[in-house]
Amino acid sequence: MIELFTYDFMQRSLLAAAMVGGLCSVVGVFVVLRGLAFVGAGTAHAAFAGVALGYLMGWPPLVLAILFGLATVWITGWVEEKGRMKLDVSIGILYTTTMALAILFIGLMKTYNAEVYGYLFGSVLSVTSEELRVIGGLSVLVLGLILLFSKELYFIAFDQEMAEASGVPARRMFFLLLTLVALTVVVSLKTVGAILVFAMILIPASTAYQLTSSLRTLTLYSIVIGVTTAVAGVVISATWDVPSGPAIVLLATTVFFISVLFSPKRMRRATPAHAH
Amino acid sequence: MCSNWPTLWSLLNGSTGHLIAPEGAPGSVSDSLVPIIRFDHASFGFPGVIALKDISLSINAGEFVGVIGPNGSGKTTLCRAILGLMAPIEGHLHIFDCACDALRCHHRAKIGYLPQKGVVDRNFPVTVLETVMMGRYGALGLFTRPGSKDRAIAMEALSHVEMDKHKDTALGHLSGGQQQRVFIARALAQQPKVLLLDEPTTGLDMTAQHNVIELIEHLHDELRLTIVLITHDINMIRSRVDRLVLLKTRLYAAGPPADVLKPEILSQVYGKDLVITEKDLILVEDYHHHH
Repeated sequence: MIELFTYDFMQRSLLAAAMVGGLCSVVGVFVVLRGLAFVGAGTAHAAFAGVALGYLMGWPPLVLAILFGLATVWITGWVEEKGRMKLDVSIGILYTTTMALAILFIGLMKTYNAEVYGYLFGSVLSVTSEELRVIGGLSVLVLGLILLFSKELYFIAFDQEMAEASGVPARRMFFLLLTLVALTVVVSLKTVGAILVFAMILIPASTAYQLTSSLRTLTLYSIVIGVTTAVAGVVISATWDVPSGPAIVLLATTVFFISVLFSPKRMRRATPAHAH
Repeated sequence: MCSNWPTLWSLLNGSTGHLIAPEGAPGSVSDSLVPIIRFDHASFGFPGVIALKDISLSINAGEFVGVIGPNGSGKTTLCRAILGLMAPIEGHLHIFDCACDALRCHHRAKIGYLPQKGVVDRNFPVTVLETVMMGRYGALGLFTRPGSKDRAIAMEALSHVEMDKHKDTALGHLSGGQQQRVFIARALAQQPKVLLLDEPTTGLDMTAQHNVIELIEHLHDELRLTIVLITHDINMIRSRVDRLVLLKTRLYAAGPPADVLKPEILSQVYGKDLVITEKDLILVEDYHHHH
């Protein structure tokens, strides 16, 4: 087993999984708190349509994935802000439309393209050094922006209107958050795939949510859970020769259910603190 | 409704109190008072839907003003306007002598805001101190991280509401009354000049209601804050406020409680829902909803 870690491909995979696991779990904190879970799913499918168009036309698939992902989240955010449509309805329409486009683009390809399916189901074990650099660069960008605007992002996740009323540029921060979700989805596509990236964003933060009542520890727990399950999932995948994406997600899901069972929130009776 | 205004105005102007007149009308606010929120023939709403029409009203520094009116009378719209979340579709709104457009007002951090109870998720994973620290974020601006000075301000705000011993408690573990105290502390941490409270007692038991109102009165007296309190509960605040503002889409009356809470004025706003008991308690439809 130790020998496994001496292979270049394995080292690249572990590094990619750790970065994607960490990134998704940080962004996931804001997605869970702000109630944007469905946006993550919709963006992942939109980004996959971009990848499919890229391979069909011979254009860079990651660039198109970013464009499709950003267009989806910005349209969704704009529609919600204008109050013209409920968020879940607008993202539901875009979700299915972009998935239909992805199927159309794949259907128009003259030959079977295994790489496209790699983006759909994830193949962290085949991550190249160049892809690793892209993942690393985008991760630094997203995490840097989150670090820079963390107090504003926490505030809009808590109560966007109260944040706006307090002088925080809440609207701009909301669009920044949507942008970060889109970039995170694109970064993670190759590692866990379009179908499972949503789980990588949602599950670590939801697991941490069961365990703490503090914003700071929520973020910390989410990162630890995200990185650990992603790395352990890759090891399981390589050891038992099972697909990496499902291995990561099923492991994270198991941890989630354990956290629900042993959640201090669930076990504690609601006893108000004594006032003076 | 519109035609009622001159008659009402004549009635109010003839009374003993210094009622606030529409800007420029006889009896306008005294020069010795400093208006910090000024509505000048301002209307708010959306095309085809007017929530507040032709409001002219000044709120002065250090005043304790109660805003009353039936459901749908525009109380929350007035609140959103003061917060800079809505721009007037007609007329003007000046806050701290600055014309305030929606989403652009840089004076927002000077207005501490307590939203209606129930808008915040009880299970949101946030501690009392983290909640109060959020009050510092608007004043700090982008790119600045809160430091020890901000933490000291947040702790001082918590001690004002007597919740400093619960700083590490999860917000969701507190009772409704305690949560309201924490949100008042969050507003105080902004170091505001105005405290704007939207139905602060709704959903609380009678003891907690009384405690919250006493706390607000105490903050007004101790910190000399300008208080704008929006409420259904006329009886709870009538003896505590300097002035009452009575709304029903329009401004029906503004002045000392004794001058506003007259049956002939209230009946025009509340109609058949108004009951005045022998003990001078004013019961309106909304009162029953919340008790």
